[in-house]
Amino acid sequence: MRLGLACDGGPPPAALIDVLGAAGLPVAAMAGADPPALIQAEGDSWALAPGADVLTACLRGALDVAIVGKDLLLERRPGVFELLDLRVCLDHLVYAGVAGNGRGEPPRLRVATPYPGCTWRYFAGAGRQVEPIAFRVTALAPALGLADGVVDLHSRIAQEAPELVVREEIAACSLRLVAGRAARTLCAGRLEDLVERLRSVLEGS
Amino acid sequence: MIPEGMRDVLPPESGQLRAIETALSRRFEAYGYGEVRTPWLEYAETLEVADDDTLEAGYRIHDQQGNQLMLRTDMTVPVARLAAARFQDKPLPLRFYYVAPSIRPWAPQRSQDGEFVQAGAELLGLRSPQADAECVALLCDGLTALGVRGFRVALGTVAYYTALVDSLGLVDDDRGKLLEALADRDYPLLESIAGKADVSDDALKALWRTLELSGTRDGLAQARKLASSDAMKEAIEHLVEVRDLVAEAGFGDAVVFDFGLLQDLSYYSGTIFEAYAPGVGLPIASGGRYDGLLGRFDWDIPGVGFAIALDRLQEALEEAGAVPAAAPATLVFAGGLEEPARAGELRRAGWAVAAVPEDADVATRPLLRRQGLSYALDMAGGDILTGGWREILRALEHR
Repeated sequence: MRLGLACDGGPPPAALIDVLGAAGLPVAAMAGADPPALIQAEGDSWALAPGADVLTACLRGALDVAIVGKDLLLERRPGVFELLDLRVCLDHLVYAGVAGNGRGEPPRLRVATPYPGCTWRYFAGAGRQVEPIAFRVTALAPALGLADGVVDLHSRIAQEAPELVVREEIAACSLRLVAGRAARTLCAGRLEDLVERLRSVLEGS
Repeated sequence: MIPEGMRDVLPPESGQLRAIETALSRRFEAYGYGEVRTPWLEYAETLEVADDDTLEAGYRIHDQQGNQLMLRTDMTVPVARLAAARFQDKPLPLRFYYVAPSIRPWAPQRSQDGEFVQAGAELLGLRSPQADAECVALLCDGLTALGVRGFRVALGTVAYYTALVDSLGLVDDDRGKLLEALADRDYPLLESIAGKADVSDDALKALWRTLELSGTRDGLAQARKLASSDAMKEAIEHLVEVRDLVAEAGFGDAVVFDFGLLQDLSYYSGTIFEAYAPGVGLPIASGGRYDGLLGRFDWDIPGVGFAIALDRLQEALEEAGAVPAAAPATLVFAGGLEEPARAGELRRAGWAVAAVPEDADVATRPLLRRQGLSYALDMAGGDILTGGWREILRALEHR
């Protein structure tokens, strides 16, 4: 089977390696890897690459399964099958703004975000007008006067822009096991084993 | 420059595509399907009866009278329109096939060209599992005839999972969220909604196991165990009958049950299926039963059909090393333009001949060149044969 691990800016997180290891997967080869990397282990190949790329490869059948963040799945809505919540790398997608500017919400919110699709759906779904502004590192956007607020992962905001105040939680995020549409049919047996092993680790913990 | 998502098809790929299209057409005709061709443009209101999300993005234009027209986004709806308009007095069933392009605005995630060719078949007027089975078998037959190896057809039913969700007895709000999660293929979310809605733990576990994987060892047994209503039992037995009939037709190995199979088109009403081939991430073909669709054109008859996406099929054939040969190699005849009769003689002997002027600078093989009164024949990899016209003809006959 061909598996992909989302590694954005570093090796796979230790908590994920722990879960995979407990499920009997060959993690020794991966722990010290330097992404992007392609690792062969026990007859499987593991691709360590940025989440967005891993997801694309999975969707197009170049990978059978992938472990990626829920934030990415929410943004891309890629039509892969989300099989399991691995409950590691817990985080929240939040809407945060500048503290106490005294003015109410403007009629049309300008929101800087790496997640423009999510942002649109969240605000428009609640009947609020929003202008999502695609922005990779959101920390500076409010200070630049570019946006009224940001939608980003809570951990990122806390680290890069602690002066921003979280106003709303949009969704809980964690790493998820997903399968491509073809893999779901063509590797069903292997996939069932994998889900079963990971599930028993999660339920035991 | 051409618009985003569009492409040109060049030789030899165009020849390979033609060979694929011809081979599939022969299979469709072998089952008694007749070819239909429908116009590129339909009235927007005609296509809109399908109530399909993909239409939202379709290309629209206005004619001189101000009517809104639309470039077709698939072929099933035009075929339904055509059948209801022109065949109401004909005996059922009706069998139509098409090999035709449709067009949708390009989206890079969808991994499909903006203009895409589909080869499809529609069987109208039969509600039985036998009709579903014929379509699945025809699909398998076509893929096998072309040499696609290791493909699988996932067989599911809309009737089962909607009944399953109904059987959980959720309030409308939860039910809506659940169906949405199902459409997004987000099983952890399903689990949490059902968890909050107080569905019994056992029922829940069994439910997700049934939905989350396709073709697993005990999928059918699980599905039967979960079937709490007559509608669900009927849906399962209908599908089992389809599978058995497809097996009788000789394609049992290719078919797997998938009770979690979902289709993006909203007009499907019963059996649905998707074909997957190694190396291609998205389905190479998909189809299903759409019993309500013709009713929207005032002819309430059932229908079932499928469409093969030729670009993805081509990928699968490349993966399997089974791309059909395009036309035979072209013999370039330098001097053939000056001697049309002799070029014609070669063509009647079965050669594809590209005639160029005698002094043309040509590097491709095979090459035939007139040299004064004699000819030089240069086949790829062989010696150059020089001689009179009769000698050359004889040599070419033995190739």
